[in-house]
Amino acid sequence: MSILNEISEKLQRGRAKEVSVLVEQALAENYSPADILNQGLIAGMNEVGEKFRRNEVFVPEVLVAARAMNAGLKILRPALISSGVKPLGKAIICTVKGDMHDIGKNLVKMMIEGQGIECIDLGVDVGPEQVVCAVRETGAKLVCLSALLTTTMTGQKEIIDALVAAGLRDRVKVMVGGAPITQQFADEIGADCYAPDAASAAIAARAFFEE
Amino acid sequence: MKASERFRNLLSGKPVDRLPVIEWAPWWKLTVERWLSEGLPKNAAATVGSLQEYFGLDRCLQLSVKNRTKNTPKEPARGAGIITDEHDYEKILPTLFPDVGTVVTEERIELLHRQHEDGKTLHFLTVEGAFWYPRVLFGIENHLYSFYDYPDLYRRICNEYADWLIELFRYLLPRFQFDFMSFAEDMSYNNGPMISKQLFDEFLAPFYKKVIPVIHEYGVPVFIDSDGDITLALDWYASVGADGMFPLERRAGVDVSVYLDKQPQMAFLGHFDKMCMKHGEAAMRAEFERLLPSMHRGKFIPSCDHQTPPDVSIENYFTYVKLLREYAELVTHKDTEIAPCPVFSENRREKI
Repeated sequence: MSILNEISEKLQRGRAKEVSVLVEQALAENYSPADILNQGLIAGMNEVGEKFRRNEVFVPEVLVAARAMNAGLKILRPALISSGVKPLGKAIICTVKGDMHDIGKNLVKMMIEGQGIECIDLGVDVGPEQVVCAVRETGAKLVCLSALLTTTMTGQKEIIDALVAAGLRDRVKVMVGGAPITQQFADEIGADCYAPDAASAAIAARAFFEE
Repeated sequence: MKASERFRNLLSGKPVDRLPVIEWAPWWKLTVERWLSEGLPKNAAATVGSLQEYFGLDRCLQLSVKNRTKNTPKEPARGAGIITDEHDYEKILPTLFPDVGTVVTEERIELLHRQHEDGKTLHFLTVEGAFWYPRVLFGIENHLYSFYDYPDLYRRICNEYADWLIELFRYLLPRFQFDFMSFAEDMSYNNGPMISKQLFDEFLAPFYKKVIPVIHEYGVPVFIDSDGDITLALDWYASVGADGMFPLERRAGVDVSVYLDKQPQMAFLGHFDKMCMKHGEAAMRAEFERLLPSMHRGKFIPSCDHQTPPDVSIENYFTYVKLLREYAELVTHKDTEIAPCPVFSENRREKI
């Protein structure tokens, strides 16, 4: 098994320490940082995402895999920067105003980062003004909005309306998700994409940036 | 027919005069506030029982028992935990597991008896399950890591908790006959269970295999309360002897008719799509029509599939209760062909 495959395998099993060691070893063996990222870390997270979609792995396995990915990235990041490898794109993510639930949002964030996308987490209970400011300041091209409650899901529309009012709507794609959210609701509020689960969100995010 | 007899008959496959007309959950504060602004009398909103009476529901009262004391540390923020590792657990141990006689006092037990005397009240006992309770200790996110980071501690937590629960059940259940009990779990979300069957078998199943037989000794049916899509988890809880599940959230894609096919010995409560209630009588009647065939199959009690959302007017809620009663009265099981719940099965009684 090549070392890149080994990185992917260990990542899928959530072995953070072993992933770190292998990334160090791969760098020492002169593998390119881009290959380590794409064929090792991202390949591993893609596999986890697919298994998650097929109910072959569940939330804890995704979390430990994402943690292993971050451990590998920590070692790899300086080499990525010095070799000029840039993130695929920049996204903003948050749970909307009035909603304190963050596990779904965190899962989506991890899966999106697993695609090589920089993800800026605004946290929970986030209102339209904060999102508008963040889009202006960061230049993010994707906004991901999570809501768990039927009472807070309308917060997604308020953020989309605020982006329209601020003249930013054409500059960003908006993806929505969360337990009460449906494709119909996403269409009604003018979102660009509805993601039924974290793995689908990551695939859609990647597709946005590869368009 | 008295409420307890009706409920017990339903779960044991015996004749019933109608289905129970109950709400298992209390109402959201926001919903009650809306109804107060629409004419709900203040005294009717005083307690869960007074609200149930005001709307004409059968009374269904919950006694919730926890193993923590006033000295147990509180979570520093919503969803945050109070322990990280075994050392932390050891530190809070002296604040856990109070004497069971102080948790449910004799006075409280007398009150339960008095409430039950009217023959119109169902009582259920609720405790935290082997997913929920460790989540309280670890916090939402660290709990999910704990299966991998602290497996021995997870097992220890569940084992010690199970021992305390057994002590509680041996004290409480001979003193008062609950109609059913529930384990609060919330281990699923809209895409299914949060953990795999492998983790369930390794960490949760030993807990349930230890406590459920004790509860069954006292003839009390055991329900699992988990939001979200529990279609996969249904079989897992069935495998450890659970008698039923609720609330079967429609919006998560749950279909009770599938559940009745999969686990015909189990009972189900809830599943009425709360999201249709705001649309008025026609929408609610259509939802009851969807549920009616499953109601006729036995051991399915329709009820709001979680708490009534605040976008439902008091007028629509009255309509909901009227329809709930109308449809509940359409179901009068006369035969005894329906499989009893595990707690009432001959096999179990023979084992005892």
